[in-house]
Amino acid sequence: MPHATNSDQLHGTLDMLVLKILEAGPLHGYAIAVRLERMSKDVLSVEEGSLYPALYRMERRGWLGSAWSVTDTGRRARFYKLTKGGRAQLDAERASWLRLTTAVADVLNG
Amino acid sequence: MGAIRIALARLRALFRRDATTDEIREELNFHVEMRTDEYARDGLEPRAARQAALRRFGNLAVIQDRGYDVRGGGVMEDVLQDVKYSVRQMAHQPSFALLAGLTLALGIGVSTALFSVIDAALLRPLPYPHPEELVTIDVEETSGGKPSRYVPSMSDIRTWRGLTAILSHVGAGRVSGFVPLIVETGNPQRLVVGEASEDFLETYGLSPVLGRGFHLDDMSPGAPAVVLLGHAFWQTEFGGDRNVLGREVRLQDRPATIVGVLPAGFYQKTAVWQPRQLSAAMADRRATGTPVVARLRPGVTIAQAQAALDAVTTSSALSGPKPGPTRVLIDSMYDDETRDFGTTIRSLSMAVGLILLIACVNVAGLMLARGATRDVELAIRAAIGAGRGRLVRQLLTESLLLALAGALVGVLIAYASLDSLVALIPLSLPPNSPVEINATVLAFSLGLTVATALLFGLVPSLKLSRAPRMISSMLTVAGRGGAPLSKRAGQWLIGLEVALALVLMTGAGLVLRSFAKLVSLDLGFDTENVLTLEVEPLEQVASVRRQYYASLTDAVRQIPEVTAAGAIDHSALTGGSSFGFVKADTGVQVGGPQRTVLPGYFEAMAVRPLSGRLFNDADRRSGDVVIANAAASQQYFDGSAVGHTVQIGMKNARVARIVGVVPNILHGGPQGRVRSELYVLPDPNDAQATWLRLAMVMRLREGASLTTDRLKQIAESLGPRVLVGRVTPASSFVSEQVSRPKHRMLLLTLLAMFGLLLTLVGIFSMTAYAVARRTREIGVRVAFGARPGQVVRVMILDAVWPVVLGLGTGLVGTYYATRVIASFLFRTTPHDSMTLVAVVAVLGAAASVAAWLPARRAASVDPVAALRAD
Repeated sequence: MPHATNSDQLHGTLDMLVLKILEAGPLHGYAIAVRLERMSKDVLSVEEGSLYPALYRMERRGWLGSAWSVTDTGRRARFYKLTKGGRAQLDAERASWLRLTTAVADVLNG
Repeated sequence: MGAIRIALARLRALFRRDATTDEIREELNFHVEMRTDEYARDGLEPRAARQAALRRFGNLAVIQDRGYDVRGGGVMEDVLQDVKYSVRQMAHQPSFALLAGLTLALGIGVSTALFSVIDAALLRPLPYPHPEELVTIDVEETSGGKPSRYVPSMSDIRTWRGLTAILSHVGAGRVSGFVPLIVETGNPQRLVVGEASEDFLETYGLSPVLGRGFHLDDMSPGAPAVVLLGHAFWQTEFGGDRNVLGREVRLQDRPATIVGVLPAGFYQKTAVWQPRQLSAAMADRRATGTPVVARLRPGVTIAQAQAALDAVTTSSALSGPKPGPTRVLIDSMYDDETRDFGTTIRSLSMAVGLILLIACVNVAGLMLARGATRDVELAIRAAIGAGRGRLVRQLLTESLLLALAGALVGVLIAYASLDSLVALIPLSLPPNSPVEINATVLAFSLGLTVATALLFGLVPSLKLSRAPRMISSMLTVAGRGGAPLSKRAGQWLIGLEVALALVLMTGAGLVLRSFAKLVSLDLGFDTENVLTLEVEPLEQVASVRRQYYASLTDAVRQIPEVTAAGAIDHSALTGGSSFGFVKADTGVQVGGPQRTVLPGYFEAMAVRPLSGRLFNDADRRSGDVVIANAAASQQYFDGSAVGHTVQIGMKNARVARIVGVVPNILHGGPQGRVRSELYVLPDPNDAQATWLRLAMVMRLREGASLTTDRLKQIAESLGPRVLVGRVTPASSFVSEQVSRPKHRMLLLTLLAMFGLLLTLVGIFSMTAYAVARRTREIGVRVAFGARPGQVVRVMILDAVWPVVLGLGTGLVGTYYATRVIASFLFRTTPHDSMTLVAVVAVLGAAASVAAWLPARRAASVDPVAALRAD
């Protein structure tokens, strides 16, 4: 079933990737999807569309903000940007990732 | 699967047309168009490009729907939809909705009404402003090292009144409890008359509705005779006439002027109040039997008041020549009032608490049972795109709807049952302050039951959330009953419920058994077909009274319907008696009640002599014969009283011969004690016996009846002016004695039956739940050759074990809980084994049947159908 992609771990990964992508500046959904694709083949491998419920969820949590704007080609699109909360979340994720990798490295090297 | 999912999602999308939907659609379309453009740039045909983009994107409708769930655009719309869906769900399973709703309603209704009554009895026992300030005051004097408690004197009161920082008011008052006085306002009646000092009414915080209260001037012995009217008496006797002030009533044949009318509800049964006029010597005397009430200044504690009053209070003549310490004792009136029915309140609260708990357990069980049958439905809904939040909301809506419907009916039940409960509960509730449904109590029982419903209604969603992965597996696993957690939960609930029900039923069983013993007790007389007539001449002359009663007896015997007639002390009717000692020829003092009777009394009450004879009419002339009861004969004469003589009377002692012994008669009803009693005749030579007041007792022929008017006419036709009181069947005096235990028994039995019913419903539904969950397992067992009987046995065992454990736990609880009602019990110990055995048997059997009925269904499971069910 496609919902298997919704497991917590993938959720978390997707969230972190989106936050990371938006750290550089506001983007619309399609642009996020394109960058995601470039970073990881897995996250949206099955249904690109599942990005959107994830975006809404993150917006609801206060990590993202959104507004309608116009693209370079003059089309109307909804743009997402990182909020303060989103930035904090990204930092927290980074810190915990660092802790984990350090711990793993310690185990492997020790 | 996929086709259905998409179809349903499209359907849902169809019904969602608002700004949020449009926004989401536009955003998703933008994405698909961008992707299409990209594919087109890669060289695909526009049509193929769009196809590829859509495939890549996933299902538009589903994603739009999921997105909508997250954005939560139309909350109101969702709620409305949830409600519609819930109503439809309940209509599908009306038995569940009805059971759960009724359980909730009854649980809330009964407990709220009962707790409200209890609360009213506990918190508002005194219908006066600031009842917590009201106290009673006694003085304790020590004589010969022994402290005794006395009522303070009027002089004490007047001294204490100087302590204005401690007491705001203090007064004394009492009602003529034992002997009502004759009040004449046209026709004479015996009525309860009160006697009050100045400041008595003010202490209670009340003022007359008409005229004035008593002043200090009214209290001196020579002052003009004045009276205050009780509100009820003013209404019935004067029709509430506002011009009643200045009119006259006769009190014990002396005139007195009406100066005021008291407010309603104050000593309701007291018709008239007179001032407490005391001579100077009497005013100094303590131990007069007139209690002292006072009102503390706000904030003054009892200890402070006691210390302050101690300082100004000295010993009196009561202490004797060598007085010990004298102390002032102050009690809160509120505490005194509530102490009396504390046991009733405690046991009722416990019973109601148990009912409420059982109702909660039941609701929990029903919600679990219902949730179990919905795993598949919820999994499907999750699969077609309903977010978890959405499902939780749906479950919440269903539980809430059910809880609210139940609560609404419950509140209606509470209001409807309040009055009958007040009538049934043996509590002395304050007059003039009607019991109302208590908002706090209502909130509490509502909160408890509704919270239970919501909590357990959400259980299915917990399973969903454990891992979204389970959703898919649940679709195939559902019905196999692989969740041991919920099986055990059901068993826990059954056990808990049985334990609670056992405690409740044992309490009721004990009270029931005690009541059965109470009413089946042989009182020593037969009250069937016996009438009593209260009557007395107004003239306070001994010979007139004696003669009147003798002629009345003769006149009553002339009535064809009457087979036997006599008379007895008026006080015997209410369980009272005059107590005394007489000297026997053996030298011993014979103590105990002495009852004055007229010949014919024993015949009328169907009492036969154990030895010797009964009185005959010839004895009336001499009055020198006595009859003893069996207890007196045993205690003082070694069982052979007949032939002995006793000296009766103090001033004009006369020697009387014991001519007979009768069985012990419990005039005071079954709860009275057997005492040594002597039956005497009125002394024909005693001119002091102006108090003689008898009640006629007559036995009627089987099936015959006599009207009050006819008896009244006979009583009034004999010459002297008389006061005719009530005509009452003798049996009613006995039933009055047992009315409290009877109400208690009825109420507790009702509650216990109610608790049992709830418990059975619970066990039934929880077993049904277990069976429903395990349909597939049963199917497998049957397919592998298990006989239906074995399957049923497994299902029943699963339900019976918790019942047995519950019974065991309940027995332990019972051991402690029944102590509360020990003081109610008549010749029954709180650990009465017969009651316990009976209750365990009834509850065990009923619980087993409740488990067996749904378990039987397991036997009829068709293995093929069960296995193919998915």
